[in-house]
Amino acid sequence: MEDLEVRRKDEHRRRVRIGYLMALFCAVLWGLWYIPGNALWVLNPFDELSAAITATNGEAVALVVTAVLISAFNALTVIIALMLWNGGLGKFREMARTVREFRSCTKWFFLASIFGGPIAILGSFIAMGFVGAAFAAVAALMYPVIGSTLSYYWLGQKISRRAMMGIVVIILGGFSIYAGGLLTDLTSGTASWIGYLGGIMAACGWGIEGAIAGKGLDVSEPDIGITLRFLGENIIWWLVIIPILAIAGFPVYTYAFQVFEPTTLLVLMMAGITFGFCYVAWYKSFPLIGVGRGQGIGNLYGIFAVVFIFLFVGDVPDWTLLLGGGLCIVGSLIMFTEESIELQSLRRDDSAALVAAKESAEGST
Amino acid sequence: MTNRPIKFRILEVYMDGREHWNDEVVGKLQKEYGMTTGYGRDSINFDIIELAAGGMLKEVDVRAASPTLYGKNALLHSYLLTDFGRSRATEIGICRGG
Repeated sequence: MEDLEVRRKDEHRRRVRIGYLMALFCAVLWGLWYIPGNALWVLNPFDELSAAITATNGEAVALVVTAVLISAFNALTVIIALMLWNGGLGKFREMARTVREFRSCTKWFFLASIFGGPIAILGSFIAMGFVGAAFAAVAALMYPVIGSTLSYYWLGQKISRRAMMGIVVIILGGFSIYAGGLLTDLTSGTASWIGYLGGIMAACGWGIEGAIAGKGLDVSEPDIGITLRFLGENIIWWLVIIPILAIAGFPVYTYAFQVFEPTTLLVLMMAGITFGFCYVAWYKSFPLIGVGRGQGIGNLYGIFAVVFIFLFVGDVPDWTLLLGGGLCIVGSLIMFTEESIELQSLRRDDSAALVAAKESAEGST
Repeated sequence: MTNRPIKFRILEVYMDGREHWNDEVVGKLQKEYGMTTGYGRDSINFDIIELAAGGMLKEVDVRAASPTLYGKNALLHSYLLTDFGRSRATEIGICRGG
């Protein structure tokens, strides 16, 4: 009997470890994505689109419009990668079954795509364009605070003090990494309120996305959930935002058709693969360790991005990387060493969701 | 019900209010969904694990599994639908079990 209890605890520990591993994969792949993600800006047709709009509407507008086209192509290559992934896993039939459950399930992934796509990504680029790159990075690092708060109150998920402390230490680590750039951005005198709004959009967008996706993931498989979320994002970019930009007079279609250059296509494919599987891992972590922990560890992308860009592109980071990296490791250890049996169920016993469930069960008897 | 997603069907099975061992539910769904391979079995089993982690199923008993089924040292779990699981199941249109 004692042996059974030990094996039972081992199983839970293994489940929690898989969840953390998934969140770590997400952080590594998210960091890797910054290599193709940054390279796209200097490749045709995106650099030419940016130059053309800068000449007519200024640099900040050019940045946002180019960001829309890059994000749209990024979403397109992500959905191709995810379709191949689901095809390989033999999940198309389950996907068809899930799509048909629009009201019970798929609507959450479409909603998540609005928050994680146009709101968070555009917000991040707006913050970059109107305040600075370091400010945009720091603002985005705040998203687990929103995500874990929402998952606590709305989904009724457990967030222990220890997990919250780990999240806060990782965020402080991220702040330290970008500290020098952040000071430059905030004291340059060119920052505008639109940029700060963009920062809030990024933090809230990704935070809310996690909580909303968590609701859909309750009753569906993560591989399918993430594919539906990107299906939604593609619809938003290609059927709503790109046509609106074209109607507004921006030459987005002209440049979009010039994307078929071998180097650009290769870099777009790399972006699609890294971003797609980063999201697969992110969504797979939520049902196993909860939205707050998944997002907290996912936040380690801040350090991986700087390290990968240094290794592959040669941009030497500030010395604060060491301090930030140390804090990120401490924050992760605080979370990894949490007693896993406490996570047997991610749902709080006193959560509003549970209380409501109990009330409704009592009412029906 | 096999025209609905697998997690929906698992919740429906547990909506009868009784305890069910995971291997019984997995075997039942493998037949219903035509997922008879080892991969299909593990995939359905992982769905049950996710539902339990999400607080919709509660583990009430545990016993050692045959090593040929889920590998050495694997366990079988008996689960019961929680109040929260019942509420989520009702929300997604599952009214009775079976």
